[in-house]
Amino acid sequence: MQVLLRSANIVLPLAYLLVAVAYGFVFFAAEPRAQRAAAPALRAVILLHLAYLLGLAAHWGQFPAATESQALSLIAFAVAVVYAYVEWHGRERSTGFWLVALVFFFQLLASVLARPETPDQAIFHDPIFAVHVSLALLGYAAFAVAAAYAFLFLQLYRDLKAGRFSTFYGKLPPLAVLERMMLVALTAGFVSLTGAVVTGAFWAQRLYPSDWLHDPKILATLITWAIYGLALLLRRLRRWQGRQTALASLAGLGTILFSLVAVNLFFSGFHAFR
Amino acid sequence: MPDSPDPATPLDPRDSAASRGPGDAAGVGGQGGGGQPGGSQAGAGGHGPAGAASAAARELAANGTAGPSLLLLGIDHHTVPIELRERVAYGHDEAEKMLVHLLARSAIAEALLLSTCNRTEVVLQPRDEEEAYRAALDLVFLARAPEVERPGLLYVKRNQGAARHLLSVACGLESMVLGEPEILGQVKQAAALAEAVGAAGPVLRRLLRCALAAGRRARQETAISAGAVSLGYAVIELARNIFRDLDDCRVLLIGAGEIARAVARNLAERGARELTVANRSPERARQFQEEFPQSAAVPFDQRFAAIREADLVIASTGADEPVITRRQLAEAMAARPSRALLVVDLGVPRNVEPEAGRIENVFLHSLDSLDHLIQRNLKRRKDEMPRVQEILDQEIAHFHGWYRGMQAEPLIARLQKQAERIRRQELSQALPHFPESSHEHLDRLTRSLVRKILHHPSDGLRGREGTEHLPRLDLVRELFRLDDYDDADESEARARGGEGGAAAADGDEQPPTG
Repeated sequence: MQVLLRSANIVLPLAYLLVAVAYGFVFFAAEPRAQRAAAPALRAVILLHLAYLLGLAAHWGQFPAATESQALSLIAFAVAVVYAYVEWHGRERSTGFWLVALVFFFQLLASVLARPETPDQAIFHDPIFAVHVSLALLGYAAFAVAAAYAFLFLQLYRDLKAGRFSTFYGKLPPLAVLERMMLVALTAGFVSLTGAVVTGAFWAQRLYPSDWLHDPKILATLITWAIYGLALLLRRLRRWQGRQTALASLAGLGTILFSLVAVNLFFSGFHAFR
Repeated sequence: MPDSPDPATPLDPRDSAASRGPGDAAGVGGQGGGGQPGGSQAGAGGHGPAGAASAAARELAANGTAGPSLLLLGIDHHTVPIELRERVAYGHDEAEKMLVHLLARSAIAEALLLSTCNRTEVVLQPRDEEEAYRAALDLVFLARAPEVERPGLLYVKRNQGAARHLLSVACGLESMVLGEPEILGQVKQAAALAEAVGAAGPVLRRLLRCALAAGRRARQETAISAGAVSLGYAVIELARNIFRDLDDCRVLLIGAGEIARAVARNLAERGARELTVANRSPERARQFQEEFPQSAAVPFDQRFAAIREADLVIASTGADEPVITRRQLAEAMAARPSRALLVVDLGVPRNVEPEAGRIENVFLHSLDSLDHLIQRNLKRRKDEMPRVQEILDQEIAHFHGWYRGMQAEPLIARLQKQAERIRRQELSQALPHFPESSHEHLDRLTRSLVRKILHHPSDGLRGREGTEHLPRLDLVRELFRLDDYDDADESEARARGGEGGAAAADGDEQPPTG
């Protein structure tokens, strides 16, 4: 089993690299064969990745997020799953290069940081914790994907507004499709994060009944959740247009990065996975 | 008609062969039938081997390649104004008749006539270049427009230059708008007509196959046809960068003049179904509706109500003042759900206040920005030209590879026949010395030996690369003394008037022997 898991550390980044190259041919050269092959190849690699994560869980007997490598691999998997969903929903493959390249980067980092041993921690045996972390990662991955689409949307919006026609022009899907994909990712992220907040509250209430709401990371997460919720609500009520939603999506990603990095660095609390 | 070297001297500096002129071509191709494409085959078809070898060498020397003899005469938008082009343009039935006339000339083995609004070209596979040239010049061009004889109007290309030009045309490199896609369909139609009339023989059929393949590949593998390069398509390109589907796009045309109609035609062709026109003159609006029965008309003063429903607004009135101001457009946008609006201002002076472009979700484009887009796309197409040239090189190499292979087939067949005869002779002498039970085994063994010994040389003779091909064929012929064997089978084959062997088995793939 260990040999299989170790070889997956080489196979997975290579497989994502190949898929990213295929998507690169779609984006840069509109190559029809790559267009046909890229999405099925991505789905196959996602299944392989899922098998790897299940193998890790079975081998160590705990949720595979106990090391930096495992957490990064989970993030890569989550981004890949969300992108595959958004792509399937929007029936649009021309943007895959950027997101699969991101997945490749995360998985490469995970493979480089992989160690033969994994610490055995009680928390990683708790199924509610596993659901909470899975949903949180899926939510954050979806928001990252949404931010990528928001960025592309704003680029194309600016090009079309100014009549400047930069490198992105002509290679991206129409504005309406980019906005739709951004909204699909935002909605998926919001639903997942809601699930993460609910399971997290349930779990924290059980373990830390008195002061879990004072945890800075939980507060930051709640603020993130509120930002995305408000953005989606205003878009649904048609008070906001695509550009404002895209800006909110980027702002939301900023809050996520703050909650992941700054809170860990400058605040102390129970909610630090280190 | 002048009978000295033609006054309609070739023009195109890109064609080095053209500079020699048809007079020179006749000097090469007109001697002893050696100008026929299958120079080496001609020997087998009745000329002696030495004659075939020298014909092949002459062809090689003349063309710098072992390609077939081809002749192309044409006029196009580069050389001839439209007044002259339209006189030399051929409709389908006229082209059909012309091909029949051309084929009636003994000097012409195969012919293709390509006639579009920008060019009329005739491609010939001549038996006699000079005669073929005269016939095509007289029948296709001078009969309709004697002015074509004036220097600088007609271009003539030969052999590889002709083949390359046809491929280049199919790829859209010679078109008025670089990379335009219609020309490929027109080449296809010309090919179908030549096929139907029986004017396309093996050489032109293969050349056309390569030309169509080059055209398709150029459009699939490069961006030579990518991006809009006309006003109407530039509007469509912009719309396609904003909206998911043009079918669901509601289009409002403010002004119903010629430009509006041209753009509306393009939009309707590309799937736009909901057209609304707002025009000051109800009569003009009615005329617009006659041309576009699916369209609706609204009074001019209700245009802002119509903007609330529209996705794409095209303004092209002759008004001196803007017919859409920033304030009016902002009010219209506030009243509609958060949908994007593309406004294309085709008016001079401008019909839409430039400040209207600052409104959220409004994408305002004027003639200048459309021109900017067109220039950008044209530059992109020009940048793709080297990649298209690579495709041309590959397809030309395929064409010549095929031709070389076809030239080699009769020789290979003869080589195999000779080896088989030697095998049978030797076997018949040897078999009496062996027990009868081993005869079948020996027969199989010797067959296998001959097959294996000849395998690589045969492949080498069919080889696709290298211009030394024709001398190589002659060398093999001499080394194996293939022409000394005049067996009964071959005499029979000649009596039937065919070369026989593997080449005959290939049917239409065999180049004509003239």
